[in-house]
Amino acid sequence: MTFYDIAHESWLSISGNKMRSFLTVLGIVIGIMAVVIMVAVGETVQQSITDQFSSLGTNTIMIRAGAAQSAGVRTGNRMTLTMDDVKYISQLPDVAAATPVENSSAQIVYGNKNWSTSMVGAYPGYATVQNIEMQYGSFFDTSAVRNASTYAVIGPDTAEELGLPKNPVGEIIRVRNTPMTIIGVTKAKGDSGMGSQDDMVIVPITTLKKRIAGSYFPNAVRMIALKLYPDADNNVATEQITALLRQRHKLKDSDADDFQITDMKQVMETMNTVSGYLTLLLIAIAAVSLLVGSIGIMNMMLVSVAERTREIGIRKAIGAQESTIVIQFLSESILISFIGSMVGLILGVGLSQGVGRFILEYNVPFSIWPVVVSISVAVVVGLASGVMPAIKAAKLNPIDSLRYE
Amino acid sequence: MATQTPIILMKKICKTFPLEIGGEQQVLFDISFKIMPGEFVAIMGPSGSGKSTCMNIVGALDSATSGVYELYGKDITTLLPDELAKIRNEYIGFVFQNFNLLPKRNILDNVMLPLMYRGLPMEERISRACEMLKLVGLEKFETYLPTQLSGGMKQRVAIARALAGNPKLILADEPTGALDSKMGNEILKFFKKLNHDLGITIVMITHEFEIAKYADRVIHIYDGHITYDGKIPKNESVLTASEKKAHVK
Repeated sequence: MTFYDIAHESWLSISGNKMRSFLTVLGIVIGIMAVVIMVAVGETVQQSITDQFSSLGTNTIMIRAGAAQSAGVRTGNRMTLTMDDVKYISQLPDVAAATPVENSSAQIVYGNKNWSTSMVGAYPGYATVQNIEMQYGSFFDTSAVRNASTYAVIGPDTAEELGLPKNPVGEIIRVRNTPMTIIGVTKAKGDSGMGSQDDMVIVPITTLKKRIAGSYFPNAVRMIALKLYPDADNNVATEQITALLRQRHKLKDSDADDFQITDMKQVMETMNTVSGYLTLLLIAIAAVSLLVGSIGIMNMMLVSVAERTREIGIRKAIGAQESTIVIQFLSESILISFIGSMVGLILGVGLSQGVGRFILEYNVPFSIWPVVVSISVAVVVGLASGVMPAIKAAKLNPIDSLRYE
Repeated sequence: MATQTPIILMKKICKTFPLEIGGEQQVLFDISFKIMPGEFVAIMGPSGSGKSTCMNIVGALDSATSGVYELYGKDITTLLPDELAKIRNEYIGFVFQNFNLLPKRNILDNVMLPLMYRGLPMEERISRACEMLKLVGLEKFETYLPTQLSGGMKQRVAIARALAGNPKLILADEPTGALDSKMGNEILKFFKKLNHDLGITIVMITHEFEIAKYADRVIHIYDGHITYDGKIPKNESVLTASEKKAHVK
């Protein structure tokens, strides 16, 4: 028997029972499709984590003021960080830029439009730390911080919501009833959801504290964000900052840190690990449906052997050897599995790319390994589910098979 | 004739089947005969006589428990299943009572089947199968499915398939059993013609004397023993008498 004979015979057998073959193929289609989609979901999540962090930069470190605790019970926020801490940290050799960050919310009014968004008070270094680029105008400078100028930098979404002109630089908006001049609009980053950098207003921290919020502690800082030079080691920098702050805060060796350092690189790595496990879990669940599909093939092949007992008898009577019968039945199960895998692959890739690009408007990464996996699975599942029925068929006694009704 | 190798040479063939309830049952006892090339032999006997078992052994579908079976001078008694399959493919063409065509394959595919297992190239398979279909007068039905043909036509397809492999021997198991007498006679005449014109050896299993009459020689089996082996007698009573004689023995 040539390869053509084997393929031709298999195709004739499969197409001879269309509905049953279709349903069996469907089992594999669903299994492979599920695996491919789950891989795409997993890779999309990882990609989006990487994207989110790359908009921030992985060489970013956040320092938060420690919480006040009494006998292990959190009793409130303690303002352990100061503007001076920022100054000293920014002088460390690895630090490219450092800024205090004061998060708040703001009700902004422009004309008859009213928009509620988040507000950040910071130093000019915030633009470097957050990789902010300007679409119009410029970011505020140190003199604006010194003078607590009523300047505001807004995100492009905020500008749109407020119905500001295309280039709104110079327009006056009222932020929590304080009139402020827009001096710049940031470039869209494309991130969405909670804490979007496209919908916010950034003001000098002094302006926020003194003019808008009216803080009692103008020198206290809740959070410091800083950016390291690209060649700096995050761990070394973290150690240096810890040592510096402990020394400045006059902490004894036995005292715990009165601040928390969050290394974004570590956070990203942790999130990637978690999402990696989640992806594995999803794939494992999808693999179960693939397993069910392959049991479907085995079942169909067993039924097929029983139904075609007489045919097997005829074939053996006119000269088919046991190995030929094995090859025939194996190739049928591999063909079913192969067709199912290819259809599942096309549907899976099509659905994940289609839904991703057109509905979620997100570039779903396309990787080659689902293709490789599908083809391997097709062969392995086909072989695994076909072996038993094929051997059963080959071992049939021609005399009994010919008598089979 | 004396130097010619017999197509079939059976020496003291015994066949025993194990019984499900334990023990065993012997169905063939010391069966010995030889069939020379060009003979048309009917193996006759009532149901349960062992003639089907004998045919299975002759057709290399089954092997004997003891004794020697030589097919065309080759001892095939102890061959393995795959070796027997090769023997069947090369030496024997089967014609069954219920045709045993593959129902979902067209006539041409059915006739080509033994040639595929022999590993012939496609062009050769097609030309050989077409030739055989022409021989049985069905050259216009190549693309038909077996279900679209009458019983007689199906049996002719089966004969074409049996002949396609150019076998030394055609083994026909009750070839007219599923046909009416008119079609049955046609098939038997066709066998006669094949035997006479092409010199093909034919061994036919039947339980009807009227059918056995088409052959030149009859081997009568009764209770697992050969009770008669010779020219077709004038009437059936000779055969039944041989059964009684065997009983007396």
